[in-house]
Amino acid sequence: MNTQDEKIRFDAIVVGAGLAGSTAAMMMARAGLNVALIERGQKAGGKNYFGGAIYTHAIGEVLPDFMDRKPPFERPVTEAGFWMLSKDGGLTKMTVQGGKLGAEPADAYMASRAVFDVWWAEQAQREGALLIPKTSVVDFIRDSAGQVIGVSTDRAQGDVYAPVVIICEGVNNLLTQKLGLIDHDLEPAHVALAFKQVIALPMDTINARFGLPDEKHGLAASVLGDVSLGLPGMGFVYTNNTSVSVGLGMMLDAVVEYRLKPYEVLQRYLRHPAIAPLIKGGQLMEYGAHLIPEGGYRDMPKLYTGGAMVAGDAASMVNALHWEGTNMAIVAGKLAAETAIEAHKQGDFSAQALSQYEARLKDRFILKDMKQYRNFARFLETHPEFMDAYPGFINDALGQFFSAYGMPKKTLFKNILGSLTSRRQLFKAVGDMLSMGRAVMGW
Amino acid sequence: MKKGDAFSVKELPQELKASLPDVYVDDLLVSLKYFIDEEQSHLKIKDQAVCARCQYKPCLDFCPVGVYTLAHDGKIQVAYQACVECGSCRVGCPYANIEWTLPRGGFGVAYKFG
Repeated sequence: MNTQDEKIRFDAIVVGAGLAGSTAAMMMARAGLNVALIERGQKAGGKNYFGGAIYTHAIGEVLPDFMDRKPPFERPVTEAGFWMLSKDGGLTKMTVQGGKLGAEPADAYMASRAVFDVWWAEQAQREGALLIPKTSVVDFIRDSAGQVIGVSTDRAQGDVYAPVVIICEGVNNLLTQKLGLIDHDLEPAHVALAFKQVIALPMDTINARFGLPDEKHGLAASVLGDVSLGLPGMGFVYTNNTSVSVGLGMMLDAVVEYRLKPYEVLQRYLRHPAIAPLIKGGQLMEYGAHLIPEGGYRDMPKLYTGGAMVAGDAASMVNALHWEGTNMAIVAGKLAAETAIEAHKQGDFSAQALSQYEARLKDRFILKDMKQYRNFARFLETHPEFMDAYPGFINDALGQFFSAYGMPKKTLFKNILGSLTSRRQLFKAVGDMLSMGRAVMGW
Repeated sequence: MKKGDAFSVKELPQELKASLPDVYVDDLLVSLKYFIDEEQSHLKIKDQAVCARCQYKPCLDFCPVGVYTLAHDGKIQVAYQACVECGSCRVGCPYANIEWTLPRGGFGVAYKFG
C-alpha cells in the first residue's frame, strides 16, 4: 500500500510526446515545473504520422532559436500548390514558387514525424522535462470530487500524480472520452483515413524529375482529380532529401461503404501515367496509415475540466482544408502550458481556473480558424464533385485553351463551358461555389 | 454511413472498380517496423456472433494493413501483429464490434519515418 509519501509526484503530467505534448512539456519545464512526459511508443514520434510538411511559425513561437538547434528538417517547401490528375493521364499543375516561398528559414519544411518528434521531445528534455517512454496511460486518478489528480499507466506501480494533466493522446482520443469531455467516439464521416508510401530515390533524380534546382528546393503538392475514385479525398506529394512521400486521404465512411482496400487505391494512384514516372525505380521505405480528425469545430471536445486539458488531434484541432494540424497542436500545447503555469502560481487547478485555456485559444487563430471552417467538413461530405468533376474540368479547360485546335475562340470557350456543364449543370456549379464560399469563409 | 443492420454497401462504377490493381499487402508490411507483443492482442472481436450476422464484413477490406481476414470456419481472425494503430476498425465497424485498446507501452508499430 502506498502512503502519501511514496507516491510518484510531478507538478504536471503530459500524456503523449507528439507536437502538442512535447511543446507543453517544454514550456512548463522552462517555467520551472517538474514535468513527466509520458509516451507509449519506444520513443517520441514512433506512433506519429503525417503527409508531410511542418510549419515554422509555431515552432519559432516556442523556440525562437530553433534553426540554431539544427532541427532534422528535410527540404524546405519552395514550391506549393495543387496538381490535378485527369482520367486520360494528364496533369495540370497550379503551384506557386519563389516570392515568399524563397524566404530563409522557410515557412514550412518537409519532415518525418518519427524523426522530427524525437528532436522536438529532446528540446523539452533540455528544459528539464522527464520523458517516460514505453508507457501507456490507461486511466485517470480522480479525487472524491472528480478532480483529476494523476494518471494510471500500464507499468507496475504505475500511478503518477500531478495537480494538472495535459492530454495530447492523438486522434484516437479514448482518454478524452473516458474523462467525459466528449460523449461519443469518432464518426466515420468525420475522419479521414490517410495512407502513403515513402519511396527512396537519389537526390539528383528527385531534383530532375520534380524540376527542383537542388536539394535546397522542395515541392509540396495537394493532388486532386483522378486520385480518390471520385469519392471525397485528396492526394499529396512531398519531396524529402532522398525520398518522396506520396499518399492520399479519403473520408473513412466512403472507404468502408465502398469496401475499398486503401493500399489498392494508393497503388492505382501511384500508377497514374503522370505519377508513375516520378517514382520509377524508387524503393519502398515505409508504408503506413493514420486517421485525421476532420470533423472540425463541431467535433471538438470540451477542452478542460478540473485538473486536465486537451490539445492537438485529441481535441480535433485540424483545419482539413489547409491540411493544418501540426501548427495548431504546437500553439495549443503552448497555451495549455501557460494555463498550467498560471494555475500553479494561483494554486488553483479547478475547471474554472483552467477555463483560461479556452480563453487563450479563442484569442488565437486556432478557435477562430476552427469556427470559420466549421461547415467545410459537411460541405465536402455533400459536394464530392469538388474532388472529381472540377479537377477534370480544369484539366479539360486548360488542355483546350493551350491547344491550337484550329477553331474560333468563341467555339473554344463554348466547348470549355460544355466540358463543365457536362459534368455538372451550370446553375449547380454556381451554387457549389456559393456553398464552398459559405463553408470556407463562414458566409 | 448507417450503423448496425441498417449498414449497406455502395458499388463503384465497373470501369473504376476494374482500374484498382491487385496488391499483396504483405509486400507493404515488410517496410514497417514493429515491437510485437507475443503475449496479448490489443484488438479483440467483442462477439463473433455479431460478425457472423454482419452481411458485408467491410473490415476485411478497409483495414489499411489487412489485419482482419476470414478463417476457414467463417470466423474473423485478427492479425493484431500487423496493426498500425490507426483506429479505422474501431470507428468503421458498422456494429462497433471491435474492442480496441492501445498496445502495452513500448509495443506495436514503430514508425521509422511516419
